[in-house]
Amino acid sequence: MRRSPALQDLERRVWLRTFEHGLWDVAIGLLLLSFGIGILTQFYWLAAIVVPVGLPAMRDVARRIIVPRIGQATFRGRRKRSMVRIQLLLAGLAFAGVVMFLFTSFATRDVAPTWMAWVRHHFVIVIGLIWGGALAVAGWAVQLPRLYAYGALLLGALVGVDLSSTGYHLGHALIGVGAVIAMIGLGLFIRFIRRYPVHLEPIEGSPDE
Amino acid sequence: MSRKHEDGPGLQIDRVIHEPARLLITAHLYVVESADYIFLMQNVHLTWGNLSSHLSKLEAAGYVEITKEFVERKPHTMVKLTPEGRAAFDAYRRQMKALFDDLPG
Repeated sequence: MRRSPALQDLERRVWLRTFEHGLWDVAIGLLLLSFGIGILTQFYWLAAIVVPVGLPAMRDVARRIIVPRIGQATFRGRRKRSMVRIQLLLAGLAFAGVVMFLFTSFATRDVAPTWMAWVRHHFVIVIGLIWGGALAVAGWAVQLPRLYAYGALLLGALVGVDLSSTGYHLGHALIGVGAVIAMIGLGLFIRFIRRYPVHLEPIEGSPDE
Repeated sequence: MSRKHEDGPGLQIDRVIHEPARLLITAHLYVVESADYIFLMQNVHLTWGNLSSHLSKLEAAGYVEITKEFVERKPHTMVKLTPEGRAAFDAYRRQMKALFDDLPG
């Protein structure tokens, strides 16, 4: 039987509640921050270790802090697939960044075709389109509108880098946008902690039950 | 347990689902695959005792499956709608829709 609009709305509200904690925002912000710091300090490997280290850490935080507050639910079909997609997307963002650095280092060679020279000249915009687009796709996949805003913010900051004739650098832009997103996530996380107290299931037969 | 109640000519209402708190619980379980007690409590705004009592009735009717386990020495209970529970909720929706559609405007 087809779901009624009321049930679809209920499902959407229940689904979005699982994003109220802001941990995904913190993760995206930290990923961009690590890229920015990696570029400025030339420790490019920094971003490559954020995903393999950050995702298990995030799961641990979710298990210890999120689940005792709002519990847990598993979702059906489409939602389940979109969670897999967003995790792949985060890994893809890190990978795309590494590929872009490799690409630009190749594009500086004389053997590189002319279109590569154009991409190399405007590679900041290309990165903005890839990452901004990826955030927008993630926002669409999980129905989280603030990810569209993050994508637009990132693209705008990187276009600013391309147009700027001052010392405004890609690293600065990524640090700035990453910090803003991480701070928003942190704010959501603090609000979440305040809003939802910890609940423990009573042991069977206890007077609390 | 008699689940259906004859409420008029040709109209049978599933009283197990029809009760407001149980209807909310069933609707929430219908839109997810499974959920734990805390998740249900937060979403349907019931106390432990109330939630537990309503889930027991749904379980007795064969509409939900309750799995109790210990995670890190703490009790953790997952609940999911059984295929019968999903079918009963669908049937309830159809009945209520038909009932309201047939009412003179």
